[in-house]
Amino acid sequence: MSTNTGPALAHRTVSSIRAAREVSPNSPHTPIRSLSSGQISSPSSLRADDDVLVIELGCRRLRVGFAGDPVPKRIVSFEGKQARRAGDFRAWEAGYEDDWRKRASGQAWGWEQQLWQLDVRGQDLGLVGDKIERGLREALVKYLLIDSKPRKMVLVLPPAIQIPILSSVLDTLFNRFGTPTISLVSSPVMTAFAAGVRSALVVDIGWHETVITAVCEYREVHTWRTIRAGKLLIEKTKNFLVEAIEGRPTPEGEDEQAPDDVVRFEECEEVATRILWCKKAHNPPSQEFPEGLPTLHEQDESEPVDPAEDTTPTRIHLTSCNPPRTLLIPFSRLSEPCETTFFETRYSPACFDDHEFPLHLLVYRSLLQLPLDVRAMCMSRVIFTGGCSAIPGLKGRIFDEVSLLAQERGWDPIRGKGVEAYKKNPKLQRTNTPPKQVNTDGSSTSIPVVAQQQQQQTPTITETTPAGGTTISDTSSPPPTAVINPADVPRQPDQVEDHIRQEKGYKPPIRGILRAIDSMGPWCGASLASQLKIPALAVVEKDLWAQQGVNGASKPSEIDVQAIQKSQRQSMGAGGLMRGSQMSSWTLGVWSTV
Amino acid sequence: MASFTPYAYIQCPCVDSVPGSRSPDGASTPTSHSSPEDDERDFDPRSPRSNYSLYPIEYMLYCEDCHTVRCERCVTEEVVTLYCPSCLFEVGNSSVKTEGNRCTRSCFQCPICIGPLSVQSLESTPAAPEPSLLSADHATATGPAGPWILCCSYCNWNSSEIGVKFDKPQGIFAQLSKLRSGYDNHHSRYTSSGDGDTYPTKRDADGEPGSTKARFASLKSFYQTQMSNENPNSGLGSTMDYGYGSPGALSRIMSLYSGNTLSSAKPKSKPTIMREADTTKEGLFPAKLDDTSVMSGLRSAGYDGTATRAQVNVQVEEGARFATDLWPIPYVLRTKRTKRCPSCRHILSKPEAKVSNTRWRMRLIAGNYIPSITIKPLIPVGAPGGPTTHLLTPVKPVQYLLTFKNPIFETIKVTLATPAVTPGRFASKVTLLCPQFQIGANSDDYNLDEVLKDRDKDPQRKRSDTTGQQVEAGKEWDSGRNWVSVVVEVVPSSIQIEPKPTILKKLGEVDDLGPLREDEDIVEIPIFVHLEWEASADQVTGKDREDKETKEKKELAYWCALGIGRISPE
Repeated sequence: MSTNTGPALAHRTVSSIRAAREVSPNSPHTPIRSLSSGQISSPSSLRADDDVLVIELGCRRLRVGFAGDPVPKRIVSFEGKQARRAGDFRAWEAGYEDDWRKRASGQAWGWEQQLWQLDVRGQDLGLVGDKIERGLREALVKYLLIDSKPRKMVLVLPPAIQIPILSSVLDTLFNRFGTPTISLVSSPVMTAFAAGVRSALVVDIGWHETVITAVCEYREVHTWRTIRAGKLLIEKTKNFLVEAIEGRPTPEGEDEQAPDDVVRFEECEEVATRILWCKKAHNPPSQEFPEGLPTLHEQDESEPVDPAEDTTPTRIHLTSCNPPRTLLIPFSRLSEPCETTFFETRYSPACFDDHEFPLHLLVYRSLLQLPLDVRAMCMSRVIFTGGCSAIPGLKGRIFDEVSLLAQERGWDPIRGKGVEAYKKNPKLQRTNTPPKQVNTDGSSTSIPVVAQQQQQQTPTITETTPAGGTTISDTSSPPPTAVINPADVPRQPDQVEDHIRQEKGYKPPIRGILRAIDSMGPWCGASLASQLKIPALAVVEKDLWAQQGVNGASKPSEIDVQAIQKSQRQSMGAGGLMRGSQMSSWTLGVWSTV
Repeated sequence: MASFTPYAYIQCPCVDSVPGSRSPDGASTPTSHSSPEDDERDFDPRSPRSNYSLYPIEYMLYCEDCHTVRCERCVTEEVVTLYCPSCLFEVGNSSVKTEGNRCTRSCFQCPICIGPLSVQSLESTPAAPEPSLLSADHATATGPAGPWILCCSYCNWNSSEIGVKFDKPQGIFAQLSKLRSGYDNHHSRYTSSGDGDTYPTKRDADGEPGSTKARFASLKSFYQTQMSNENPNSGLGSTMDYGYGSPGALSRIMSLYSGNTLSSAKPKSKPTIMREADTTKEGLFPAKLDDTSVMSGLRSAGYDGTATRAQVNVQVEEGARFATDLWPIPYVLRTKRTKRCPSCRHILSKPEAKVSNTRWRMRLIAGNYIPSITIKPLIPVGAPGGPTTHLLTPVKPVQYLLTFKNPIFETIKVTLATPAVTPGRFASKVTLLCPQFQIGANSDDYNLDEVLKDRDKDPQRKRSDTTGQQVEAGKEWDSGRNWVSVVVEVVPSSIQIEPKPTILKKLGEVDDLGPLREDEDIVEIPIFVHLEWEASADQVTGKDREDKETKEKKELAYWCALGIGRISPE
């Protein structure tokens, strides 16, 4: 309805003037006026509405701020100092810092810096709650400058957080901060939201794990994990530094762990965040698709030496080792921890376990395992996020490696000598080679280029996918039993799609090419979403939580979808004010699945 | 390490009042408390959780109505005053919402050393020995002209290092934020004075996308347009309220009242799918995958040219990498807060509203209500027959005096309880020789003579230098008008890490042979203190009865952690 009305008056509508953007054909409707508070709504609802707190829960950091702010007001990090008793001022004593070995002894390395371990067995969950409480209280008091009135909260959760931890977090928020409701939103979905896209492949290089989540139409589709993330990087950095300090050559068995008491955890992290960098791919992908890869510029001409060959010593001053010393490490070597942590190209892919897949392989594999259309959407919306993605060169490296893999292998899950032999065997080849060129009428043949009919229309995207044509279409179709390969049959014109395409203002989504986009991060997304009043995935109410606890949450199988839809429709219809009154059953959203 | 001050910490009873971490799948779970007798478990001051619930008595408040102690976790707070700690300027509560939590005048912290920054004229800096004074005095007289900079007097950092100069010495915050946003958006004008200097071209080269704020705004407006396009009828796309101004909303309300259901009355409009952001204007940014410039920056700046994590953490915005990315930090505002009891809403502490006044209108500190505990060795160090070091010798009994001092005007009956051995790997034996006693009431109407007479009257009690005095079980060691000393005997354990004899092990117990942890060599005794006293009943209940005859029995119980001393490593 809105789009069919003539755009003649569009320039007059206040909204388009105000927005000052290219005019999308709107119907001339009254612009939505943001009501100033106190005009109509009752004061009580206004009170409840103001300042929703958005909290992003991470294993190392807690981002806290108000909904609607572009950046969090405070990023709480968990440190040893935080765990001190009130009134314990030993941290300010002279020589306290030098005494770190004594304090760290008997604990796992970097134990106090993280909120929880992956393995929750035997973990003190009350401690998790205590840490969150202290950190959050400090943030609210010192940085958000608010009183302790109960406020609604939006909690941004990583995918598949352990239920005991979630339970402990919710307990703390409800009991200690008196929050009336907590909305749970998913971190990858919010990352995609903050990038302005509906689907994405979110690569979150976090602390314990790198989590790759495919998001399609704001839904999490699938998640892959690998332990190649921040924690491993810090450990490798420690090994690297210890080697440099002790001056012994790199040990062959690289599983050998360096002792914990040589360099401090904090200092390793300092080195890791400040000076580490990541090499480029060994053989950068060919410049076939400049549009898809805006990153591969030949900027290296300006550089005198490639960073990988730069042997100028970098001075790193370490204070926590005994005695304090300044290391001189060639700049090129500073990429080693990154290399061993994230890529490990020395080994063949076959020797990795499922939990320790190198990043580029995992990204490729996750794309490969996705359904066809989801892959087409996701591959052109790769988002890198998480703390470790700030390492210079890492994002580009992963992206290059993935596009290399895609170039080499296409999107064919079957690989190996047998397949190669099969492909090369002329006897098994089909007689009719499929047309390799994309037809001009918009139909295409090969599998990964499902989206190319749209691409043809978009003037900006002229390139075909790397995997186009040859390799895939040969193998993906069954051996030629019939004369006409079904894959070669030109597509039937799709009336519905044609109709959509004819619509005014229709822009085909970019699909089928590898493209990385930038996101402002999950916190921003959640802040934006809650300001736009987008309903959260799950809303937990205080009373219900107090009565039932985590076991009260309905399992996904028990949910009556129709009832929920009905209630949601009602809530939309009747002004949303009735919402929550009828929520007798509640869920933890996607997090309730074990 | 040589000296060790004995300490007493109090665990706020609020740890138990909150329903603790609920076990996620029923009662028997290994993830939460491992001990089955959940309620009756002894308090373990060694557990990492205890650090979050133990407070010195000075940190605690006391609610007179609920008769309980309150820690910072179990009070509700209200903001009285917001002010800048640097210029002491009071800030309105509403302006915090609009302008953020930082001082918007000219108060800045050094991004390198967080020292305070002062505004100085760039020209007078090299000549004048005390430029800050000069510029303050002669600002009106001579008027040192020209660009102004922020200067740190501690580490000599100044804002011209990152290429920031100001036109005026006032309103630095506004000038700086203008500079910063202009810097991020256009990167053309770098200084407000507009002289095109050769400042680091790092960001200019790689064409940094707009600041987070700008991106956020563009994305937000994009989503808003999309949502209002998607369903123009509902008007829910607005950020605020429900858009009663739009005709769609009006018709919806009308249809509600006329009884027609919405879906039947309206022809079904085709749902338009909200599309994705498409351009930079709409908030879509391609990822910056090429970090060549960052890497060359790293190579030229080296390790010392990068910002430390501590420096990055105090920055207002995330993402600083080099020392040249660090901006002056406007001071975070501070608050004065009223604290109330969460259950009865009575005020526990209330500061004066004026910023410059540091007094309290009301402050009910726990030290005025519950007995304080002081610890000292029975035989002081260095005394004849006493220990020669501050360290405790393993397996050698040592006696300590716990002195309870009563601050209130009622007699308090104290009952102490302690586990026989301290929890943890190195279990020291603890014996309380007098677990039950009464402390006399405090009073403020005594004169000195009386007190002195009291002491002389009972010469038996004078035990200041008699070391041969036998410690008797069940008797107070010493007592005064409002204080009582009791003796606790400790047999410190050896802190040698060795496997437990097999005969003493429980089934399935595993030896913890890790190295000595921090503070594990301290003998820390958990003591459960139970207080009973009679207080005049509350005014509300006693208003009809005659005077203050009504007395009510009150009790309060809490755990304490007493740090006695360090065990010598032999």
